[in-house]
Amino acid sequence: MNRRKLLSLLGMSPALLAGSRAEAQKTRTGKSAAPEEPKYQALNPKGTPPPVKLVPMAPRLDTIHGKTVYLVDTGFMGGGTLLQQMQAWFNQNMPDVTVVFRKKAGPYMEDDPPLWKEIKEKGNAAIMAIGH
Amino acid sequence: MITKAFKDLAILNAAKRGMPHERICFTPHPVWGKTPDELRVYVDGPDPVSGKPLMKEIVDALTVPLSDDEKKSGIVSVSVGPPTFTDTADNLQEFYLNNGYTDFLPIILPTQEKVDAMLKGTGHKPDEVVGKMAAGAYPAWSYTVRQVAASAVMAGCRPEYFPIVLAIASSGVASLFSSTNSFAFAMIINGPIRDKLEFNYGIGALGPFAQPNATIGRAWTLMSKNLGNGGIPGDTYLGSLGNNLNYNNVVIAENEDASPWPPFHVQRGFKKEENVVSLFRGLGVVPGQVARGSSANENVQFDYQMSDLFSTFTGFFGALIIADPLVAIRLKEQGYDTKEKLIAWLYKNTTQTVKDYKSRNYAYLFEYPQALQGREPFATWYKLPDDAVIPHFPRPESFNIVVTGGQTNAYPQAGNLSYGVSVSIDKWM
Amino acid sequence: MATRAFADLAKSNASKRGMPHIRAAFTPHPVWGKTAEQLRAYIDGNDPVSGKPLMKEIIDGLTVPLTAEDTKTGMMDVSVGPPVYGPDTLDNLQKHFLNNGMTDFLPVIIPTQEKVDAMLKGTSHKPDEVVGKMAAGAFAPWTYTVRQVAVNAVMAGCEPEYFPIVLAIASTGMAALGSSTTSFAYSMVINGPIRDQLNMNYGIGAMGPFAQPNATIGRAWTLLGKNLGNGGIAGDTYMGSQGNNTNYNNIVIAENEKESPWTPFHVQKGFKPEENVVSLFAGEDIRQGHGARGAGVLENPMFDDQISDMFRTLTSQFNALVICDPLTVKRLVEQGYDTKEKLMDWLWQNTKRTAKEYRDSAFVYTFHKPLAQRGIEPYATWYNCPEDTLIPWWPKPDDIALVVTGGQTNPFFQVGNLNYRVSVSIDKWM
Repeated sequence: MNRRKLLSLLGMSPALLAGSRAEAQKTRTGKSAAPEEPKYQALNPKGTPPPVKLVPMAPRLDTIHGKTVYLVDTGFMGGGTLLQQMQAWFNQNMPDVTVVFRKKAGPYMEDDPPLWKEIKEKGNAAIMAIGH
Repeated sequence: MITKAFKDLAILNAAKRGMPHERICFTPHPVWGKTPDELRVYVDGPDPVSGKPLMKEIVDALTVPLSDDEKKSGIVSVSVGPPTFTDTADNLQEFYLNNGYTDFLPIILPTQEKVDAMLKGTGHKPDEVVGKMAAGAYPAWSYTVRQVAASAVMAGCRPEYFPIVLAIASSGVASLFSSTNSFAFAMIINGPIRDKLEFNYGIGALGPFAQPNATIGRAWTLMSKNLGNGGIPGDTYLGSLGNNLNYNNVVIAENEDASPWPPFHVQRGFKKEENVVSLFRGLGVVPGQVARGSSANENVQFDYQMSDLFSTFTGFFGALIIADPLVAIRLKEQGYDTKEKLIAWLYKNTTQTVKDYKSRNYAYLFEYPQALQGREPFATWYKLPDDAVIPHFPRPESFNIVVTGGQTNAYPQAGNLSYGVSVSIDKWM
Repeated sequence: MATRAFADLAKSNASKRGMPHIRAAFTPHPVWGKTAEQLRAYIDGNDPVSGKPLMKEIIDGLTVPLTAEDTKTGMMDVSVGPPVYGPDTLDNLQKHFLNNGMTDFLPVIIPTQEKVDAMLKGTSHKPDEVVGKMAAGAFAPWTYTVRQVAVNAVMAGCEPEYFPIVLAIASTGMAALGSSTTSFAYSMVINGPIRDQLNMNYGIGAMGPFAQPNATIGRAWTLLGKNLGNGGIAGDTYMGSQGNNTNYNNIVIAENEKESPWTPFHVQKGFKPEENVVSLFAGEDIRQGHGARGAGVLENPMFDDQISDMFRTLTSQFNALVICDPLTVKRLVEQGYDTKEKLMDWLWQNTKRTAKEYRDSAFVYTFHKPLAQRGIEPYATWYNCPEDTLIPWWPKPDDIALVVTGGQTNPFFQVGNLNYRVSVSIDKWM
């Protein structure tokens, strides 16, 4: 599913929201009911999703050259090694970019406010690696 | 930056958290198990989703100015569709199934009449907010008594079961968890309600032999889908292999009468006459009689047997021993006159080497980072030499014991499950 | 003479086998694990069911003359009730089916004539054709027709397109609710193009509640066992002390043939790739591989070692069914296991224990020792070799089955302690 379609999930079509994977399950069209067949009214079983507060994106860098980029390993297996390869790439291809490699504290689901503070103070950008 | 297996999840989750235009790049999947050279190829190569060279895409993402959409702020409400659906019974079954409201099995349609009947099973008002639930690190959905009733009806519950379903709903614990690991969930029911509702805690206790066991377990999964927005593959459910136990969850009504020990809820501080449901999460349940030490001798040593069974449990989750009353009686005869004594023995005698510990799943992912932060016992364990012997489970609290079964044979089962929470059912009557 | 836990079963089973007046005596339960003194007390004491002194009851049983009832011959009528229920409301019919032990205690699709007729269109076989016979244990089997299978398939929630698979399963006569005091688990593997025709799930959540065919075909197997095999009657045809949660839907595995570089399971069993086949398994359980040593930490996970590690708490009473995510398979292929057979061989060679450990196990004592005493190999050798000899877990590499399924979100695997029983053609039932 491309991003545009995925984004239509936000407040657009109830069917898509309820089952974004509905396309994987071929939808059979319901049989048209015989006139005497009784009809029932059933309740929508879904709970109430919270409204979404849009978060505007951080402004972009005018250029990456001369800037400090943090590479953040969140703790998923293999992510750290990948980022180390990326650091090598920067060193070879963009030596004027200062790359700082950091491992986030704690397991992957834990927040690390001191690291974000440091990145805000000392860095210009961050790339986080997520997933195995 | 994320691996391509989680593309939909990344985009959807960012959107749910207010960033539908978050700049995300993708690498091939997986990164785990790849050598540095193989990963360098990822870095040098294209993003498998967009086809663009990865590093160019990353630099662009950091430098190309924001679009107007990306600068937007404000609140977007999220719709779940109309409040009711009208059609023939057959068409409604198909519609609910296709809309992801079910577990793909037949449901009782939640008509107003059926939902009203269910609502009579509680003194709480239909519009009262029961709680909120997310099937992982997602924004939680909230739900009312009426919305819980719809899932309870669909599962096949009788109105008398409703307080238990409400109690589970109030915990906010989903029985379909997003993780790639395919978690399993269990509940223990204690108190006089077991007999009132005719729960099965005899022959076939964990299987399809009684309506409350079957339908209440199923309701938990339906709630997790409909009220917690769980179970959407690729979005809120990433379990690679899935888990059969998710259909009905492991429902354990404790056989309090036949047990020589105090019931589970009493150990948690409740009174015997209180009705309580306790929830567990982990990997699954396996039979204990197959382990080494399931002796050919007349003298079955269940304590050793269990200890051996746990060798392929991950210590990240606890151990829930599900003992047939015959096993419990036998253990009491062997000197374990309390559950605590058995737990103390098991904690001490179920051991592993540090080398083995480090090699088991979840130790590196979850416990090593904690060790680095100085949290015990992991901090100490990670400093010990490889051949040092440590407990298999981090603490005695990792163990729990419940008694159920029909005493046709002295078999235990054990779950690699951690205790989560106990909730009063009486509160929801 | 039986222990009291089996009083109902004993009488019921004798009755089914034509001996409703069999003379039976009962002891307290259990006998296993009791000392000689404790068992002598049983002998000296009373039959806990009748209250009479046991030995007197036994001697009377052997000597008191038979009554007219005892010597009766002829046929006994066994009724399962009327062929049709209703007309009645849907609600009342749901209650009726549930209260009469015809369900798994969850809502069913009421099998109206209309629905059953629609299901029957899913096969070319005639409604009255006998499909097979089934018993959930050592009982006299019940027989059933295509139509009777259809009723259960409707109840389970199957679509007519799934019916050939349900018929294929029914034709094996294998019930998914075994009578044993051990609470057995059951599994099926589906191969062939039918998986895609029916939209079976073999991706994310493969073994869980994520697709209608997986859910309903699995459930149908249990209903067949109850209604067509007379299984699942607690205390009578079902004695599983604690039960097994997997019995609700059974473990349904559609093999992910597309993402697997290995030979699909049915081809290993001699079928052509384009044939549609269902293969059935029965045994103890299924467990996750996360607990294996080596399962997590290394940059370089060795799945062969991990699977072997998991085997160490399996009983040799049942074989192994290893269920690998395609990512796990790809990794194994990189490590040199380019065929399933290579991995099966390695696992069989490298999972060993001492003969002493083997002989100590209860199941081995009960089931293998008699075989050893009859000179059957390899059990005879395993029972007679020196204690510290290392022997494999199972007689041959083929006792380890491998299937591939899953959504590749992570390289995981699960292991079932299950015996492969049979493969049947689904195409035959179309």
